[in-house]
Amino acid sequence: MNYNEKAASNIEIISYYSGVIIFGTALLMLIPIFFTIVCFEFAPLIDFIISFCITMLVGLGLMLFGKKTQIQNATTQWKHGYIIAAFTWILLMMLCAIPYSLSGHTKSFLDSCFDVMSGFTTTGLLLTQDLDHLSIGLNMWRHLLTFIGGQGMIVLALSFVSNQASGAYRLYVGEAKDIELVPNVVGTAKIIWKISMIYLGIGTAALWITGMVIGLNPITAFFHGFYMFASAWSTGGFSPMTQNMMYYHSLTYEIICLIILVLGSFNFGLHYAVWQGNRKEFIKNIETRSFFITSIISCALILRWLTKLNVYPDAIADFRRVIFNVLSAHTTTGFTNIYARQYALEWGDIGVLIMVIAMLIGGSACSTAGGFKGLRVAMVFKAIIVDIKKLLSSERNVKVYKYHHIKDCILEDSGVKSSAIIILCYIVLFAIGTILGIFCGYPMGSSAFEAASATGNVGLSIGVTSLSTPAILKIYYIVAMYMGRLEFISVFALIGFVIKGVKKICKRY
Amino acid sequence: MQKILRVISIVFIIFFVFSSEVFAQEKATEINALIENAKQLDNKTVTVEGEAVGEPLERGKYCWVNINDTTNAIGVWVNSEDAKQIKKYGDYKNKGDIIRVTGVFRRACKEHGGEADIHNESMQIIKHGYSVHEDISVVKLIIAVMLVLILILAIFFIHKLKIIRLPYHF
Repeated sequence: MNYNEKAASNIEIISYYSGVIIFGTALLMLIPIFFTIVCFEFAPLIDFIISFCITMLVGLGLMLFGKKTQIQNATTQWKHGYIIAAFTWILLMMLCAIPYSLSGHTKSFLDSCFDVMSGFTTTGLLLTQDLDHLSIGLNMWRHLLTFIGGQGMIVLALSFVSNQASGAYRLYVGEAKDIELVPNVVGTAKIIWKISMIYLGIGTAALWITGMVIGLNPITAFFHGFYMFASAWSTGGFSPMTQNMMYYHSLTYEIICLIILVLGSFNFGLHYAVWQGNRKEFIKNIETRSFFITSIISCALILRWLTKLNVYPDAIADFRRVIFNVLSAHTTTGFTNIYARQYALEWGDIGVLIMVIAMLIGGSACSTAGGFKGLRVAMVFKAIIVDIKKLLSSERNVKVYKYHHIKDCILEDSGVKSSAIIILCYIVLFAIGTILGIFCGYPMGSSAFEAASATGNVGLSIGVTSLSTPAILKIYYIVAMYMGRLEFISVFALIGFVIKGVKKICKRY
Repeated sequence: MQKILRVISIVFIIFFVFSSEVFAQEKATEINALIENAKQLDNKTVTVEGEAVGEPLERGKYCWVNINDTTNAIGVWVNSEDAKQIKKYGDYKNKGDIIRVTGVFRRACKEHGGEADIHNESMQIIKHGYSVHEDISVVKLIIAVMLVLILILAIFFIHKLKIIRLPYHF
């Protein structure tokens, strides 16, 4: 480095790494471009070429702006990691929305951005119209976004960046993933992808074969197999058809999707531990225990309630509808085998309330799932029990309390505090969404359901999300999905950075 | 004069016969209305009209035909022989046949695991489907070509002048 030269500024570092990630995402567009060519879909081909070029040029522009970062090999700090993650997600939302907008399947650019953010955050709420006539290219793009979003865009970028990984861990954590499967973060990112790709092969094959058995032609069955796998594994909830899971009319298809979505909601660390031969981890892990307890309680309560209301004709129907929908909500997937309005009209207040709680709890930390995460709920719950135990035991009795998550960890006040803060942030976000929904004229139950669905990145809808939803509510849901997925810290860092920048400018002039 | 009266009376008869046929047809219910009023319409005979989408899903002597009337979509449980009347199903390249289905609506069908569906009693093709012609916008095409050229030039200069190293090593 030439010492007369000024070191790369914060903005240059942020710009350079954001450019790298955007450049990588642009390369992803080559996949739908390939399928539009193979399937002779020329109008979407042009849309994707335009989007690809714009995204590439924006990525290159940002890299050029921050070129000092590369020349000086500047290291990123924690704040950079958080800000890059938060900033890149906003920019990518707009760039990836271009094919949606050009296709004419969305009414406005805001609706396109809504769907992209829903895909990235693996939520599954949608405003795209006329799904049944969507091109293979656009369908591929929707499901690819949700698949990549589940693993994380930064995780994807890191997997292929071999020479520019200085401070990579900070970028990785910025995207709300903090597990280290191996000491090297690029290695961890690659393992996450390896796990996902193996499941992708098995899951798509299983759904492909089942699709053919239930009457789909082999080509459609293959595409649907991929789409549904991508949605289930990333706990996304998008589907290629308007009817979502109801299009297939098949219990087997539902069961396979259910297995995939439950697996997708588990921590990547847990998958890795089980793959390494540590099968007991599955039973010992605090997150899986927490997940099974809350799932059983939610299913049992809703089953009891719906039996009382006599909603379904027999036990088979009860189990098929309740277990699928509750697990879909709890894992924050958003697949559904009933109509959105049936929650409001048939499941009643108790059914909706339990679904809201299940959606807010969500899946596991460092998985593709959303919500406050089972780990945090279990830690806070355990801390309450520990406090009661401490109150009841002798003051001279000093005991260390532990929980098992991949390894034995000590239950420390700082960990419990940070978990409680994140849970509180989710609740505040959910409460604001509910109040805003009520202000926009929706009933309280429906507002709460939709707010929980957006905040927890679930994607189940009770009918609030539609073309007629007021723009302010659409924007709020975008913010809720975004903050919920990045778990607040990165977004707060970006907001702080922007405010600091504005203050500096104000002082200067 | 007699000729004119004869023509008028024939026209009148034809108009009357055809219009009576139209009036005899029950008004189709929107699929969204079925869901919104599911409890009242449960196990009642209803008529819906919509586009056959996707593919027929064969289940032995019967098959599932999914129809979409733009308000929502629903599965219709149809005799496989009846389903053969449908020649085109809607997808990106095709506009499916518009069919009129009269059948029993079940809010939570016992036979099909609690699914909301319609068991077909009679089916009629209202409008035949067709292949959709792709409209390729010339403006979009020109923009695409220009952007590709700009991108190639940008990458060429960055690479040639060694301004930055492009990321990603596959």
